[in-house]
Amino acid sequence: MPPIRTSRGSKKPPPEGFEDIEDTLLEFANKMKDAENASHDGKKKYEMVWPVFQITHQRSRYIYELYYEKEAIGKPLYDWLLKNGYADAMLIAKWKKQGYEKLCCLRCIQTKETNFRSTCICRVPKEQLKENQDIQCVSCGCRGCASGD
Amino acid sequence: MADPPARPPVALPPLAPGWTEHKAPSGHAYYYNKETKSSTYVRPVANPQPSFFAASAPPAHGTHPTLGADANLDLFNPVAAIYSAQRNQQQQRSQYRDPRQRQWTHVAPPQQQPFRGGMGGGRGGFSGSRRQPEDRPKHRHDIPNCAPWVLVKTKLGRRFVWNRDTNESFWKFPADVMKGVVEFDRVERERRERRERSEASDEGEDDTMADIEADLAATEENIEQAIVEVDGEEGMGDESEYEEVEVTDDEGEDAGQPSKRQRTEEPTEDQPMEMGEDDMAWQLAQLEDMEADFGEEDEEEGLPLTEEDCKALFKELLDDLGINPYTPWEKTLDSGTLYEDERYKALPNMKARKECFNEWARDKIQFLKEQKAKMPRPDPKVEYLSLLSRLATPNLYWPEFRRKFKKEPEMKDAKLSDKEKEKLYRDHIKRLGMKPSELKSDLSALLKAQPLAALNRDSTLDTLPPSVSGDLRFISLPGATRDALVETYISTLPPAPEGAAKSAEEEAEVAKRRAERERREWALAERERRVREEKRKQEREMAYGKGRLRDNEEELHRALRVGKDGLRAQLDE
Repeated sequence: MPPIRTSRGSKKPPPEGFEDIEDTLLEFANKMKDAENASHDGKKKYEMVWPVFQITHQRSRYIYELYYEKEAIGKPLYDWLLKNGYADAMLIAKWKKQGYEKLCCLRCIQTKETNFRSTCICRVPKEQLKENQDIQCVSCGCRGCASGD
Repeated sequence: MADPPARPPVALPPLAPGWTEHKAPSGHAYYYNKETKSSTYVRPVANPQPSFFAASAPPAHGTHPTLGADANLDLFNPVAAIYSAQRNQQQQRSQYRDPRQRQWTHVAPPQQQPFRGGMGGGRGGFSGSRRQPEDRPKHRHDIPNCAPWVLVKTKLGRRFVWNRDTNESFWKFPADVMKGVVEFDRVERERRERRERSEASDEGEDDTMADIEADLAATEENIEQAIVEVDGEEGMGDESEYEEVEVTDDEGEDAGQPSKRQRTEEPTEDQPMEMGEDDMAWQLAQLEDMEADFGEEDEEEGLPLTEEDCKALFKELLDDLGINPYTPWEKTLDSGTLYEDERYKALPNMKARKECFNEWARDKIQFLKEQKAKMPRPDPKVEYLSLLSRLATPNLYWPEFRRKFKKEPEMKDAKLSDKEKEKLYRDHIKRLGMKPSELKSDLSALLKAQPLAALNRDSTLDTLPPSVSGDLRFISLPGATRDALVETYISTLPPAPEGAAKSAEEEAEVAKRRAERERREWALAERERRVREEKRKQEREMAYGKGRLRDNEEELHRALRVGKDGLRAQLDE
């Protein structure tokens, strides 16, 4: 029986330039492991996944910036990273759209999951919130990711 | 421009016999009678004295009153006498000013200030509120390269040095400090010159040229003066030992601000330490006050830091710390190395810093990419082959070898595919069984095939071209025999063809960049210094205000406590 090849466990070696960002990615992986294994004592159920969302966001952002803003990595490496799950392609796709430049996670714009077909509170611009209203969204712990902020 | 020696005082009435004239540290003349052991500020006039120079014979040593004694004089001097003494002295001072300075007649002679309190407050009795117009510290400057020493200019324009650590002060500059002071003067003058030039840029070119020449001359003279400075000093009743007090005379001043400084032909005492410790404290408090009042004048200098400069400074900081341009900004911040540098504060806020970082990282990565493209790409085969030459034996099959050494970085390297690795391994094992003579001839064939540019007399065993070290024929022979063979072959080769040296243009470019960088760093340091000074000044001002309040209170107390002692003393006389 042939070995099962998943896109995740791609055997292809990373393209040129991977050595430069390898350390940072490894750090993100370690952080992620720590977040996954962190104790959940005294945390709310939804709070437990916040760090995971945050690290995913950071890592995706890192790769997004390397490719689109600093132009530090090439197309092959970028594709390889997306394919191997280092960044969230769907999230990056949203960042390219106007008004979603700082989007924290995909769940926060998933209107179908809310009662009133609305987006998350973190998508509301600061000036439309009340004075000194401190928010932190349920899905990823975002404190506000509207483009105008 | 050597300063002319002091003029003898003009026709003061001669002193009565037995009286000698002295100078108090504050610059006042006072008169001392050795027989009666009394001293006074009022000039004791002898009616038929022949020579007036006799009065100004050098005073006897050891009889100089300190300021404290000076204060005691106040007790029996009537107030009017003080005023007359004062007038007297101002007269004198205007006479002592040399002619060059006399032309600035708008320079006000030091006026009697209303009573300013101080920390020391060592003045006795009721005379506290009637201070003499004494010399007091006015400006304080740091001396470059003489860290604890501070140059203090007094109100009368004299200068002394003060050691901040040991709290010593000298009129006579110690030798090492002297160098610093000369340097300081030079810098001062240059700065002034620059400012003047920027002010009067519309003036003719030759004006500035003349300025420069004058300054050059001034510099020379200053140095001369610093070395030998002996003024003829007749009629003044003091040894000219302290003339080094005036180490330099800033000529450049005459164009810009009128100098408040005068030559100090007024005699000083012949002890190096002219002021007592407590007086020192008081004077320094005064200095602080004065600096608060007058310090603003010379605050505006320093190179302006433009936005680009700030950015460049920050980028240089990033360069210097060797930060990896591939790391995200947050991580760079978290590492905490950035904060410790002054240049971190060149940019005003985090947003600007982040932008700057991104810009820098972008450029840096581009630069690194270009460099990498220029560098010859390392052949993965070379390292793999060196591993083979170390570890491969005919006793191991490829799968065994791979399993055994899979932890080696060369084996993990993904650039060389597994198929290629296997092929190389098998070939190498096969060649290990061949005869040495064959191997030798193979190696010499390989070496001969190399072009002269790649392999020549300058190359060593460590710098063999990859076309040699990445070839199976190179590693087949055991290391020792191979190295000897290669070395002998290299020694027969002619030297390399002419390589392109670094062009002069590139070097100039590098030098220019370095100069730019130095300038920016200096400007930043200057800015820091100014901010610090401002801060210090504020603090001092506050401290001084407090001290003054305290003093006032004390004075009130004293005034309340006044008894009949003063009156009695007068009567007893």
